[in-house]
Amino acid sequence: MELLRLLSTNEIVAQVISFLILFFILRAFAWKKILLLLDARREKIASEFQKIEEAKEEISKLKSDYNEKLERIDELAQVKIQEAVSQARHIAQEIREKAAADSRIILKKAEENIELELSKAKEVLKDKVIDLTIGATEYIIKEKLTSEKDKKLISEFLDELDEVK
Amino acid sequence: MSQEAHSVVISHSTQQHAELPNLISILAEKFHGSRFAEYLHIWENVIFSVIIAALLSFVAYRATKKAGLVPGRLQGFLEILVSAIDDFVCGILGHHGRKFTPFIGTLFLYILTMNLFGLIPLMKSSTSSLSTTVALAICVFIYVQYTAIKENGVRGYIDHMMGKPRGIIAFTVFIPVLIFAIHLVSELVRPLSLALRLRSNVWAEDALLSVAASFGIAGVPLFIFSMLLTVLSSFIQATVFALLSTIYFALVLPYKEHQGEKG
Repeated sequence: MELLRLLSTNEIVAQVISFLILFFILRAFAWKKILLLLDARREKIASEFQKIEEAKEEISKLKSDYNEKLERIDELAQVKIQEAVSQARHIAQEIREKAAADSRIILKKAEENIELELSKAKEVLKDKVIDLTIGATEYIIKEKLTSEKDKKLISEFLDELDEVK
Repeated sequence: MSQEAHSVVISHSTQQHAELPNLISILAEKFHGSRFAEYLHIWENVIFSVIIAALLSFVAYRATKKAGLVPGRLQGFLEILVSAIDDFVCGILGHHGRKFTPFIGTLFLYILTMNLFGLIPLMKSSTSSLSTTVALAICVFIYVQYTAIKENGVRGYIDHMMGKPRGIIAFTVFIPVLIFAIHLVSELVRPLSLALRLRSNVWAEDALLSVAASFGIAGVPLFIFSMLLTVLSSFIQATVFALLSTIYFALVLPYKEHQGEKG
């Protein structure tokens, strides 16, 4: 009963109203906004972490690919070098063959030139012999020949012939 | 003077020796015998409650005025508070308990601020008044019963109040009705016990501070000790009120909800 005397209906009603007003104000300005913000932040953080995890996986995959390629790079280099050497050998062979062919052609041409020059020289020699023969014949016809003169003439002829050769 | 006002003045006068003077009581003393003084006597606790409600509303408004994902200092502080209270409520009621977070949270902050307000010179803890705590208990009681009816339906509510398992005695009418009545009384007594516990503790803290202050300089160590005790007790009492209110909600919510959430 003593406790009941401490109660005041007006005060109770006023306090209830005061609390309810505060409740609705805080619900509108604090609780809903803050709880939504907290949820939004939580979701954002979770999605960011998800993205980070995905990026990590991607990086890990790229790294493993890179390492794999790095391990195979010596092998690939060896293959490339072999290919280059083989190609170089092939080219060298081609060059050698071409050089041999060219040298053969040059040799043949040289032989032909020699042949030509030889035939030309023969022609010239022939002409000279003919000229000398004609000259000698003319000389014999102009002078009366003696045995000594014959010998002398033949000897001069032979000397001239040697000079021509 | 009305009967209501008379009883309030009497109750105030009986408490006067146990409380430090505050702004309203000083004003009432100054205008002693006038209608204004009578008015102040009647509404003293309500005035302090309204001041606290206005203060909390202002802080909440300022904190969330430019609310964003990157919080300012005030918003950050409020977020920590809201998050802690939400975790506390959802820890007991499960994920669906979030709809009760605003109510429990407001209750906690309001009681805590009222408890601590008495430590400010010339201010008073409104919770040292039984009417204040009873008002809060009534709010809890009505909301808990409303939730019980909403969640279980009227039939489910009555069924719950009649107690289970009923077995063979369900065929009798007297026993379930009796259990219903006992249950109803217990439902009423629960918030009343909350109100009495809170009021008595805060009133005792105020009394202790008043006694310590009455010793003058010699009472300074006791006064400081009492202040520290009041701070601790204020937090404990606000937490107990909020915790028990949450448990009352948990008791009336359908069992499957908690089962689903916890599992």
